[in-house]
Amino acid sequence: MENLLKEAQEALLKAQDKTQLQEVYNLYLSKKGKVAGLMAQMKDLSPLEKPKFGAKVNVLKQTLEQDYAIALDRVQHNSILSELQKDKIDLTLPATKLKVGTLHPLTIVQKEIEEHFISMGYLIKEGPEVERDYYNFERANIPQDHPARDMQDTFYINMDWLLRTHTTAIQTRTLESYNGQTPVKVICPGKVYRKDDDDATHSHQFVQIEGLVVGEKISMADLKGTLELLAKRMFGESRVIRFRPSYFQFTEPSVEVDVSCHICNGKGCSTCHQTGWIEILGAGMVHPNVLKMAGFDAEKVSGFAFGLGVERVALLKYGIDDIRHFYTNDLRFLSTFTRFE
Amino acid sequence: MKISTKWLGRYVDLQGISIDELADRLTFAGLEAEGRTYLAQGTNLVIGEVLTCVAHPDSDHLSQTTVNIGKEVLSIICGAPNVKAGQKVIVAQNGSVLPKITIKKTLIKGVESNGMICSLLELGVDPKTLTEDQKAGIEVLDKDAPIGQDPLAYLGLDDVILEVKLTPNRSDCNALWSLAYEVSALFDRKVTLPDYLAYEHIGQPTQLKVSSETTKCPLFIGKTIGELTVKESPLWMKQALNALGFKTINNVVDISNYVMIETGQPLHFYDAAKLAAPEITVKDNRLGIVKTLDESEIHLHKEDIVITCQGKHIGLAGIMGGDDSKIDESTHGIIIEAAQFSPSQIRHTSRRVNLITEASLRFQKGLDLNAAHKAVLRSTQLLIELADAKEIETTVVYGTPTTDEKIVKVHPQHINDLLGDVYPIEKVMEIFRVLRFSPKFEDQMIVCQIPTTRLDIEVAQDLIEEVGRFVGYHNLKGTLPLMPMTLGGYDQRQQLRNNIRSLCVGFGMNEIITYTLVNKDKTVEGVSPLANPQALISPLSDERQYVRNNLLNSVFETVIYNQSYKMKDFQLFEVSTLSHIDHTQERLALVQSGNITINRWQKETREADFYSLKGIIEQLLVENGYAIGRIRFDAIQDHPFFHPYQSAKVFLDKTELGMMGRIHPLLSQKLGIDSILMAELNLEPLLKTKVAKIKYNSIIKVPSVLRDVALVVEQSVSASQIEKIITEAAKPLVKSVEVFDVYTGEHVEKGKKSLAITIAFQATDHTLNDDEIQTHFAKIIEALKTQTGAILRA
Repeated sequence: MENLLKEAQEALLKAQDKTQLQEVYNLYLSKKGKVAGLMAQMKDLSPLEKPKFGAKVNVLKQTLEQDYAIALDRVQHNSILSELQKDKIDLTLPATKLKVGTLHPLTIVQKEIEEHFISMGYLIKEGPEVERDYYNFERANIPQDHPARDMQDTFYINMDWLLRTHTTAIQTRTLESYNGQTPVKVICPGKVYRKDDDDATHSHQFVQIEGLVVGEKISMADLKGTLELLAKRMFGESRVIRFRPSYFQFTEPSVEVDVSCHICNGKGCSTCHQTGWIEILGAGMVHPNVLKMAGFDAEKVSGFAFGLGVERVALLKYGIDDIRHFYTNDLRFLSTFTRFE
Repeated sequence: MKISTKWLGRYVDLQGISIDELADRLTFAGLEAEGRTYLAQGTNLVIGEVLTCVAHPDSDHLSQTTVNIGKEVLSIICGAPNVKAGQKVIVAQNGSVLPKITIKKTLIKGVESNGMICSLLELGVDPKTLTEDQKAGIEVLDKDAPIGQDPLAYLGLDDVILEVKLTPNRSDCNALWSLAYEVSALFDRKVTLPDYLAYEHIGQPTQLKVSSETTKCPLFIGKTIGELTVKESPLWMKQALNALGFKTINNVVDISNYVMIETGQPLHFYDAAKLAAPEITVKDNRLGIVKTLDESEIHLHKEDIVITCQGKHIGLAGIMGGDDSKIDESTHGIIIEAAQFSPSQIRHTSRRVNLITEASLRFQKGLDLNAAHKAVLRSTQLLIELADAKEIETTVVYGTPTTDEKIVKVHPQHINDLLGDVYPIEKVMEIFRVLRFSPKFEDQMIVCQIPTTRLDIEVAQDLIEEVGRFVGYHNLKGTLPLMPMTLGGYDQRQQLRNNIRSLCVGFGMNEIITYTLVNKDKTVEGVSPLANPQALISPLSDERQYVRNNLLNSVFETVIYNQSYKMKDFQLFEVSTLSHIDHTQERLALVQSGNITINRWQKETREADFYSLKGIIEQLLVENGYAIGRIRFDAIQDHPFFHPYQSAKVFLDKTELGMMGRIHPLLSQKLGIDSILMAELNLEPLLKTKVAKIKYNSIIKVPSVLRDVALVVEQSVSASQIEKIITEAAKPLVKSVEVFDVYTGEHVEKGKKSLAITIAFQATDHTLNDDEIQTHFAKIIEALKTQTGAILRA
């Protein structure tokens, strides 16, 4: 009986597929199988031996049936596995590409600046690109005879209308819309136009972003703190800024703002012309004439304003060598701006 | 503006101040020193005399010389072809550092050489100022050059020229004397000006009459110098003018330039004998010609200012004097002109006639009203000293020079508040004092008397700026505005624009930005062009003459460009505002070109077509809250941009948004591009109509039942008609109708098409049984038959 068990178990282990296993089953466990044969021997035994023998055979049968079930699982599993071999694929073939488009680099930079200021409670204000001479110049404290108003520099449509030359036109409109009420905290982005011949560093159309805050006791120090945060956001946490006195009609005092060079960390390189600094913004305290013209009490409130060219920031940030790329819209150029940053 | 630091040093003590310090301090006081030029550079230079000069034994072009430099005699090998015994030369001794080399004792072909005889080129002198001979060989100095002395000082090349970028408000610093005061204030140094005021009361009675008949000349000062000698200017004056790039002519002309540099006031000297009478009148409203010094003939416009003498044009005011009365060797007496002219008129005239002169540049920036007076006195002084001037007549003045000093006040607290720091009052008073503002403290206010040179100081903020720039902003601690909290964010329009951009990027499209200015052709036809294309008065070119009134014409340029570079598969979008006088409209342009999904080995290449673009437009609208049922596409009958059978007008409710579809083959042929799908939509109506809010409807748990049906209908019957009939016929049980196949060809009668449709039935409250569905299905078939003549396909 022990031999039979051993022999049957070995046969079960050897069986490689369902057919072989069925053969083993037929040989040992079927009605005519060897286990059934053992049962048949019982009739020759004494009544005393019969129950003992019967119990032994039952154990044997149960053991083999369990082993059979295990073997069945095994061969079925093996057979599925060998079936799946047919499904083998070349994992290195190209993926099904999900093409995602790109925002224009000028949009990316503009949105980054907008979102930075929105997080500090600023509103985004816009205005018309075909603008009144009045809002573009007069209200920006640029008098009638000023060179900036010459035909040479400005695209005029007629005596009263022109293509705005700076987003200061949005500021003057926005100031007026506040009816002398503070606080004013706005960012003014938009396309602007100047009569420059297009070349690697000039474009007759470009994007400006200006910022404007008016309230009680707004100071130059507030301007500096605000622009420090902007510089860090745009060019990295370790950036610092410096103010150089300058002159703009819209502001008094006025400053040019340099940011420490993000390429060389201020050590001096070709990007910053070995100075360690890059001139990025013009800024200052809103001229009292501007505030008065827009209906604010210049004795009680003050404000700061700043402006930057989006192209210039994008050129510096991404190392672009020619401003015309922004308007040629070469797909190889556009496709560069494809990841989160 | 160019500043000779050597010349500046004559008026303000620069002892111990390095060029770096000077440049930095000026820059951070708002006078940006953006460049510097050393006229010549070199250490350890000395004037020497060549004693002997023989050919080098082993060379056919080198000379072996001995040179006396005073304290010793050096033997030097020299390669210059022009070296000769007896010459006075510039010697760079051993250890001398020149711009490109350092001089050391060397052996040249076996002979020792102790130093170098230099050309000016080797000392870094601007080649433009040198003759061909000077460039080809060593510099040969005058016979009287002092042996052993510094050759750069001898030649007047010991100077550094600073290029200072003056902001428009600081045109006062065009006058070297004003700059001297600025430097003196910055470094607390003393200013010493020539004693020109001593010439105030010199002068005998005069015949000269000056006047102005135009408001564009409010001041004209004239003075006759009856006798003088025209000759060469002294070396120091020539060197000073040369250093700034002025050509020196003779003492009289040079004095007019020299005084202009000092005072900022352009002067003109007339040869008195060449004028018909001592009468000068400034006029405008004149036509005709002025013949200027450069011998060109200027045709006057009536707004130009012109200097006249008995009706004859003798000068183009503020720009250039007339040729007929110019100073030359024969001149014995002159009339000095020092005037004020309208800066904007000088600018306009100078630009129009394309004549930009030292004088015009200064006039157009605006002058100190006292400068004319100063300049006349200083000229008188120099003419006496350098041109033996005699017979000096009294000064004649038209107009009133303003000598009143402006009073501007500022409250000390205002300074602290506006700058955001604490500035001790003593410090502030000190700054105003060194600026010569004569500050006084009265009634809590600092009261300043502003010198007439400082045209830029008018209000308290201008004084505050002076404090800011003097103290510098480097120590200013950045703070953030302390003010009531405000809510930041995008408005509805900006949000819609951002959403559209994000969705388009998600659809695989690249954003483009094209130029607003276009040529005339691009304004003629387009998708609903805004009326009356606007032309610029003076455009850069015909290509950029018009403000665009539609988007697609600009977008075509991008398509042409990219397709020409063999990029055929792309999708583009642009969101831009069309701007007209008193009217703007924000638009969206879309383009699909070639294939939109590509996976060739999986045979999943999908070419863009009407439906791919339709899908994008639908989804853009749906995602922004405009339900699909509100969107309609109506065939375009006849538009030059669009394919007559694959294009549609897009409607939201009853408002037309724009057009979309395939480009008209005639247009793509004209543009030379492959066929594209395109759309131009007006976004304004979206901002004016209601958007749906997100609303949850409970999920229906009963299953829906699907039935397929195949129909043969006339070609002209549209899918949307059939969908509508089905939905109406079995209301409200039809949950959806989906066309899943459209077929024409074999087994379908010509002029007809076969449509395969899946209809989903669903009730909200119970599972539909076969009988119910059969009843409704029959109704649907009946409706289709009667309304479209549809035949059910087996």
